[in-house]
Amino acid sequence: MPSTPNSGPAVSIDNLSKRYGRTLALDGISFDVRDREFFALLGPNGAGKTTLLHILCTILRPDSGTALVGGFDVVRQSLAARRRLGIVFQEPSLDDRLTVRENLELHGLVFGVPRALRRQRIEKMLELVELTDLSDKPARTLSSGMKRRLEIARALIHDSEIILFDEPTAGLDAQSRERIWSYVRTLRSERKITVLVTTHYIDEVEGCDRVCVVDQGKLLALDTPDALKRDHCRQVLRVVPKSDDHRQEILNRYADHLEGEEGESILLSSSDSLVEAVLAEYGTRLRSLSIDTPSLEAVFLSLTGRELRDQAAGPRERTLAFGRRGGEHTR
Amino acid sequence: MTNDDRAAERRSPLLIQLGGLYGIWLREVKRAIRDRGQLVGGISRPILWVLILGIGLNPYFRGEVYGEVTFVVPFTYLQFIFPAVVVLNILYTSVQSAVSVIWDREFGFLREVLVSPMSRGMVLLGKVLGGATVAVVHGCLVLLLARFADVPLTWSDIIKALGLMAMLAFALTSLGVVIANRIRSFEGFGVFSNAVILPLYFTSSSIFPLDPALTRAQARITYPEWLVTLVEINPLTYAVDALRGVLIDYNQFDPRIGIAVMVVAGLVLFSIALIDFRRA
Ligand SMILES: Nc1ncnc2c1ncn2[C@@H]1O[C@H](COP(=O)(O)OP(=O)(O)OP(=O)(O)O)[C@@H](O)[C@H]1O
Ligand SMILES: [Mg+2]
Repeated sequence: MPSTPNSGPAVSIDNLSKRYGRTLALDGISFDVRDREFFALLGPNGAGKTTLLHILCTILRPDSGTALVGGFDVVRQSLAARRRLGIVFQEPSLDDRLTVRENLELHGLVFGVPRALRRQRIEKMLELVELTDLSDKPARTLSSGMKRRLEIARALIHDSEIILFDEPTAGLDAQSRERIWSYVRTLRSERKITVLVTTHYIDEVEGCDRVCVVDQGKLLALDTPDALKRDHCRQVLRVVPKSDDHRQEILNRYADHLEGEEGESILLSSSDSLVEAVLAEYGTRLRSLSIDTPSLEAVFLSLTGRELRDQAAGPRERTLAFGRRGGEHTR
Repeated sequence: MTNDDRAAERRSPLLIQLGGLYGIWLREVKRAIRDRGQLVGGISRPILWVLILGIGLNPYFRGEVYGEVTFVVPFTYLQFIFPAVVVLNILYTSVQSAVSVIWDREFGFLREVLVSPMSRGMVLLGKVLGGATVAVVHGCLVLLLARFADVPLTWSDIIKALGLMAMLAFALTSLGVVIANRIRSFEGFGVFSNAVILPLYFTSSSIFPLDPALTRAQARITYPEWLVTLVEINPLTYAVDALRGVLIDYNQFDPRIGIAVMVVAGLVLFSIALIDFRRA
């Protein structure tokens, strides 16, 4: 069994490209995901997120470039790479006619998890995703949120070290989404795992270690959420003076910082020192002072020039679209 | 992570492949058991054939109907088609179970298996063995009717028949997978499989014997040349014949031809299916 020390990055992508006919889905993308990191891939529809994950899990071959998973090349050492991966696909991939437990059993069998360990893991994972009571129900009878939870449990039955989640929460209600993230947090505290997740919900990305923004197969930015906001969005200081005199005074004094005026308030492009200066000088003459912290939403807008779609397609639409494409992604 | 958690890494690759093979096989069997429609078809089809076609055509098979009825051959029409009904049930079930290849592709399940450490060959073998197992079980449903068809069976007959049925089911399931790999939608598969199943079945000497000298009445009418040729080039003819040899002791050809045909067809079709599957 080839084995490399786990000191390197969990996932290493170098100049990866993939073309479907005339669409260039990935355009020379490179980045590393560090060991035990919680890494998010953010991008609008068709950005190439799924394509990237499919290359990582070895069901698609890249046209050029290399990808290493746990130090193993996904093309030349695909078996070793696969063994380290746990995947939750964007499209549903449960066997509807098998029960919850049978789905997990089958996964354990094909991943070669020894019987005793398999039983133990299944119980543990069922408990984690709160499906123990439903374990003998056919998967067909689960709600879409429960199915998603089952798929997450399934990805963790074998010794997966790197978990790829392709939009684990798309189309789910707020409660299910929160639940799924709480399982992921629990997992990260219990097992040594690296999580690579793609999502459309920007608010979910806030808690990640690093965010990678992609669009049209290209990497636009990669950093911690805070650094992204700092670098791609200006912090805005919003002050409301008590009187018009004060207002004029402030406008004259900070003319070069002026961003604009909104009704009563004055918007100043700010930095920490400016905030202090304004407070020290005008603190008593202001009715209110607030700092508009930049959102990742704004970062995204400034990077791609587009809004993220606000709502991901529900599971039903996803299945329908999947059927129409003739079960594409299955190569 | 405890040391225990690394246990999967230490297992021999062969053991992992075999475990996975078992998992995929078990899944196929479970799915088939839970599919009521398939089960109903598996039971009603032979009953229909044996009761209605078999009993209905029985008189016409016994040589001359008018005048003195002579029993030229030592079995009835019902006995004659009985082995062919076994084949029919296997044929339908095998090809039907190959539909699951399309389902798996359409509903993403295939991907889940393809990202596992299983080799593609083992995944396919698991599917084909699973489908073949179900087909053999459906073949056995027909054997339960043996008494009504007046076909006496000994245990050794049954065991030999099971062997032949297994070979046949393997070859036919592989055939189904080959078809399913070429046809990517359910609708297409329905049309195509009917266009394959029925002609294949009817020209396999299943419902009439090839040798017109079988009965005196039939001896006077010779079959047209093209039909004889069709029957002779149909590989299924030899499978039906081999099974007939075991079940009712009547062979038109050397039974070894049947076995050879099934083994070769099974290997060739499985290989084609595997090549398709690797490429897909
Ligand atoms: N099998 C395919 N055949 C042709 N084009 C494809 C195929 N799969 C994806 N594409 C194209 O490649 C591009 C990237 O697709 P991909 O599925 O990776 O996007 P994504 O970021 O996952 O989008 P979404 O957020 O909608 O899931 C898109 O333009 C898409 O149309
Ligand atoms: Mg996607």
